[in-house]
Amino acid sequence: MERTGAPEVALQFTGKAGEYFKIWIVNLCLGIVTLGIYSAWAKVRRKRYFYGSTLLDGSAFEYIGNPVAILKGRLIVVTAVAIYSLSKQVHYAIGLALFAAIVLALPWVIQRALQFNARNSTHRNIRFGFRGSKMQIFGVLAIAGLLVPVTLGFAYPFYFYMKRKVFIDNSNYGDRRFVFSATAGNYYVAALKVSLAFLGFVAGTVVTLGIGALPLYILLSSYAEATFARLAWRNTTLGAGSGEIRFECRWTTGGLFGLYFGNALGVLCTLGLLIPWAAIRTARYKLERISLQSEQGLGGFLAAVQEDVGAVGDEAGELLGFDFGL
Amino acid sequence: MSDVRALYFDGKSSHAHDVVLSAGFGADSKRVLQVRGAGLNLSWPFTQLRVSDRIGTSRRYLYFPDGSQCETDDNAGVDDLLIGEEPAAARLLHRWESGLGYAFAALAITAVVAWAFVVWGIPAIAKQVAFALPAETEKLIGGDSLSALDRFVFTPSKLPPERQESLHRLYARMTAGIDGASGYRLELRRGNRIGPNAFALPAGIIVMTDELVELSKDDREIEAVLAHEIGHLRQRHILRHVLQDSATVLLIAFTFGDLASLTSLASAAPTLLLQARFSREFEREADDFAFGYMVRRGIPPEMFAAILQRIEEKRPRGTDAPDYLSSHPATRERIERMRGAH
Repeated sequence: MERTGAPEVALQFTGKAGEYFKIWIVNLCLGIVTLGIYSAWAKVRRKRYFYGSTLLDGSAFEYIGNPVAILKGRLIVVTAVAIYSLSKQVHYAIGLALFAAIVLALPWVIQRALQFNARNSTHRNIRFGFRGSKMQIFGVLAIAGLLVPVTLGFAYPFYFYMKRKVFIDNSNYGDRRFVFSATAGNYYVAALKVSLAFLGFVAGTVVTLGIGALPLYILLSSYAEATFARLAWRNTTLGAGSGEIRFECRWTTGGLFGLYFGNALGVLCTLGLLIPWAAIRTARYKLERISLQSEQGLGGFLAAVQEDVGAVGDEAGELLGFDFGL
Repeated sequence: MSDVRALYFDGKSSHAHDVVLSAGFGADSKRVLQVRGAGLNLSWPFTQLRVSDRIGTSRRYLYFPDGSQCETDDNAGVDDLLIGEEPAAARLLHRWESGLGYAFAALAITAVVAWAFVVWGIPAIAKQVAFALPAETEKLIGGDSLSALDRFVFTPSKLPPERQESLHRLYARMTAGIDGASGYRLELRRGNRIGPNAFALPAGIIVMTDELVELSKDDREIEAVLAHEIGHLRQRHILRHVLQDSATVLLIAFTFGDLASLTSLASAAPTLLLQARFSREFEREADDFAFGYMVRRGIPPEMFAAILQRIEEKRPRGTDAPDYLSSHPATRERIERMRGAH
C-alpha cells in the first residue's frame, strides 16, 4: 500500500503479567464466592485494566461500561435461556416458537451489544460509537444462515467480508467515521491462500502420523488470523481527506504461532494458572504491532452527542457468541 | 504533598492539555481540587468529583461535573490527593488486588470452591436434573448402543434355550416387585473378549453375558448382579454421567472463556480424571440398591460378594469395555462393604 511521509504512532501496552495475575485471581475468587454476581464488576475491572494499559500517543483508552447494566443484561439472558429450556419440556412446539423468537431477536441483540461496547469505549474523553441498523445486521446473519449453506460454503469469505465491512463502516470515533475499503475479491484471495495452507496442514498431519496435528493446527490458525487481520487493518481508515488516519498491522504467522504455542503450553502445564500471563502477552503482541499514521495528528476530534442504550445486548451477544461444541 | 501531573480533556475535543493537579482551598474555604495548565485554571470541590478505582498501574481518571476529565499514571499521587476525601473502603479492592498474600488466599479459595463444586455440586445438580427429565431422554443419548455392541463385541447367547427362559423368568419375577422397572428388559449375549460381565445400557436395557451365568453357582448370585444393574437404571446413572461430564466441561470452558480455543484441550483432562471417581460413586449407589433388594428377598449379601470375587479372578487382562459392574481398584472394597453389611 502507498506510504506517505507522515510519522507512524504505534499502540503501546503497559500491562504486566505479575500485576494482572493478582487482579485476575482476586476478581475470579470474588466472582465465585458471590455466586457469579460480582463477575459483572470483575469484567469491568478486567476491561478497565486492559484499556487503561493501552496507550496511543501518550494517553490511554478507557472502558466506562456500567457493571449494573452488565449484570441486568446477564440476568435477562439467563432468564431467557431458562424459560426456553423449561418450555421445551412442556411442549416442543412452544420451544420451537421461542427458538424462532430468539433467532428473530438476534439482530437487535447484536446491535445492542456492538453499541454498548463501542459507546463505553473512549479515548481522550471522546466516545466510540456504532450506528449499524438492525436490517444491516439481519443481512449479514442471512448470508451466514442461508447463503453460506446454499452455496456449500462458497459464500463464506463473502460473509466474513460483509461482517467486517458492516462493523467498520458503521463505527465512529467522535464525529469521525471509520471506512472499510477492502473488496470481497481481497477476501476471496486471502481465503484461497488459507485453503492452500489447510491442505499443507492435512498433508503435514498425515506425514507426522497425527503427532504434528496440534502444533500444525496452531500454525494454520495463526496464518489465517495474521492474513485476515493485516488485510482488514490496512484497508481501514478513520476520517476523510488529508486528516484521515491509516492503520498498519504487523502481525506475522511466526509471531502469532510463538504466542499461541507458548500460551497453550504454559496454560496447560500450570492448570490455568498462567492464563493472566497468556492474556497479557497476547495483548502486548497484538497491540504493539498496530500503528496509526496521520498527516495532522490526532487532536481536534469532536464528540458526537449520542443517546444511551441499555446493556442487554452486550451480555446476550457474549453468551450467544460463546460457541464450543459439546 | 507533591503535585500530580495529568492530561486534561474537556470532553468536546480530543485535544490534550498538560495540567498539574493539587489540593487547595476555595472561596468558602472548602477543600478543592485545582487543575492548572497553560490557559487553564479550574477548581472543583472534592465532593463534586468522582475518581476511578485504582486497578494495578493502569491509568487513573478524575471526572468533573461538566463532563471534562483528567487522566494520569500517577496513581500514588492521586491517592495522596484523596486522603481524607474518600472512605477507606474505596481502596479495599486495590489492596486485595496488589498483595501477594491476598492473591494466594484467593487462589486457595478458588481452587477449593471449584474442586468442591465439581466433586459435589455438579453431581447433586445432575441428579436433580436427571430425575426431572423424562425417561425418554436417556434413549436419545444412548441411541443404538446395543446394536453397536452386537456388531463389534457380542455374539448371540449360546446358553440352552431352557436356561435362557428360566433367566428371563427370574428377571420378570424380580422387576414385578420393583417400582418403575417394568420398562427395562434383559438381553442375554455371549461376551467373548469381555468375559463374565453385566451392563446397564441407556433406554433401560440390561445385558448379561453367558460367561457370567456360567460363572455363577447359585441363581441368587445372578439375582444380586441383576439387582445391581437395575439399580444403575433406576438411579439414571447414564444420564447423570453425561450431564456431569458436560457440566464440568462447560464450567471449565466458562471460567477460562478468555482463551477458549487453547483450553478446549485442557478442559478434557480434568474430566477424564474425575470419571473414575464419578463411576465409583455410581457403583456404590447401585450396590446399595442391590443390597436393599437382597434384604427384602432374604438373599445373603455374601451371594453378591462371592460372584464379585469370582468375576475379579476371571477378568480378562486389558479390557477397556464400558464396565459398570466393577471398577478394578474398588472391587475389593465393594466386597468388604457387602460382607460388612450383614
